[in-house]
Amino acid sequence: MSELFASPFFGIALSIAAFAIGVQIQKRTGFVICNPLIIAIVLVAAVLLIFRIPYESYNKGGEIINMFLAPATACLAVSIYSKIEVLKKNWLPILVGCICGSLASMGSVWGLCRLFGLDAAVTASLMPKSVTTPIAVSIAGSHGGMTPITVVAVILTGIMGSIMAPMLIKMFRVKDSMTAGLAIGACSHAVGTSKAVELGETEGAMSGLAIGICGIVTVIFSLFMM
Amino acid sequence: MKIVYQIGIIFAVCWLSQLVEAVIPFAFPASVIGMIILFALLASGILKVSHIREKSDFLLSNMAFFFIPAGVSIINYFDVLKSTALQLVVICLITTVITFGVTAASVRFTLFLMNKVRKGEEK
Repeated sequence: MSELFASPFFGIALSIAAFAIGVQIQKRTGFVICNPLIIAIVLVAAVLLIFRIPYESYNKGGEIINMFLAPATACLAVSIYSKIEVLKKNWLPILVGCICGSLASMGSVWGLCRLFGLDAAVTASLMPKSVTTPIAVSIAGSHGGMTPITVVAVILTGIMGSIMAPMLIKMFRVKDSMTAGLAIGACSHAVGTSKAVELGETEGAMSGLAIGICGIVTVIFSLFMM
Repeated sequence: MKIVYQIGIIFAVCWLSQLVEAVIPFAFPASVIGMIILFALLASGILKVSHIREKSDFLLSNMAFFFIPAGVSIINYFDVLKSTALQLVVICLITTVITFGVTAASVRFTLFLMNKVRKGEEK
């Protein structure tokens, strides 16, 4: 019986089924908190634990899905390139915003981890949490972090940013769309960007640009800070 | 065949980025190198977006799905998570607010300076 679960088809089919359920729940409820990825992770983990299926068996299929992460990250280049006109026109504020935002994010995570007495591995897992998942996972992985913790922290941050975005815009008295978009993208990557798109076209484009640029900036800073 | 060609182009870029990662002496993630290579190819006009559109749309729009296995491996880290869950939530919350505030302030300040310089030039 257990050999049957060790087929890559099992892991892939289970993941797709769990994700489909997650997407449906999100559609029906419309709550940001019902993130399809979070629901899928919980469902798959529950199936593995309830039926006592070893993680290694599931991961036969998991590895194949994982393989698509690198090409998917590379394709972020396509979305940056499609906004190249906006980037050329506003390169200075975009660059300054992304550099300051990334530094603030990494610095505040580092400080809070010290304050809570968390160890080096947890700190390394959390440092890149404001950037998009593929980049955050690569950074955490290459600096001794635990990548599953990174995945959870990144999604959690994204959901928080997306829920709080309208409130934060009021709180920091942000009046123009470029500033709002960049701030949303810098603090809550793709999940936040989906909210920024709802706020307006400029907000969405700026937020999307911030995902890629903050990603690269964070990789560069991680070489010195981690 | 179109999709096969597109997969070929993107996978070739990814393999090239792993080569670069192995050669450079510091920890720079291959996936980000791939992103930079792909951007350079697009910006220089060697590659056109139409050459990879369908495949990249597929990858970008299904991005979240590809993270399921990475997230599921959290079941191997339950004991770490149990002791740090609360701190983790607090850290995510505080840093999100700080990052938003600092980014907004720095963009606003840059725009303010640019305006000032522009006005200075007009005079």
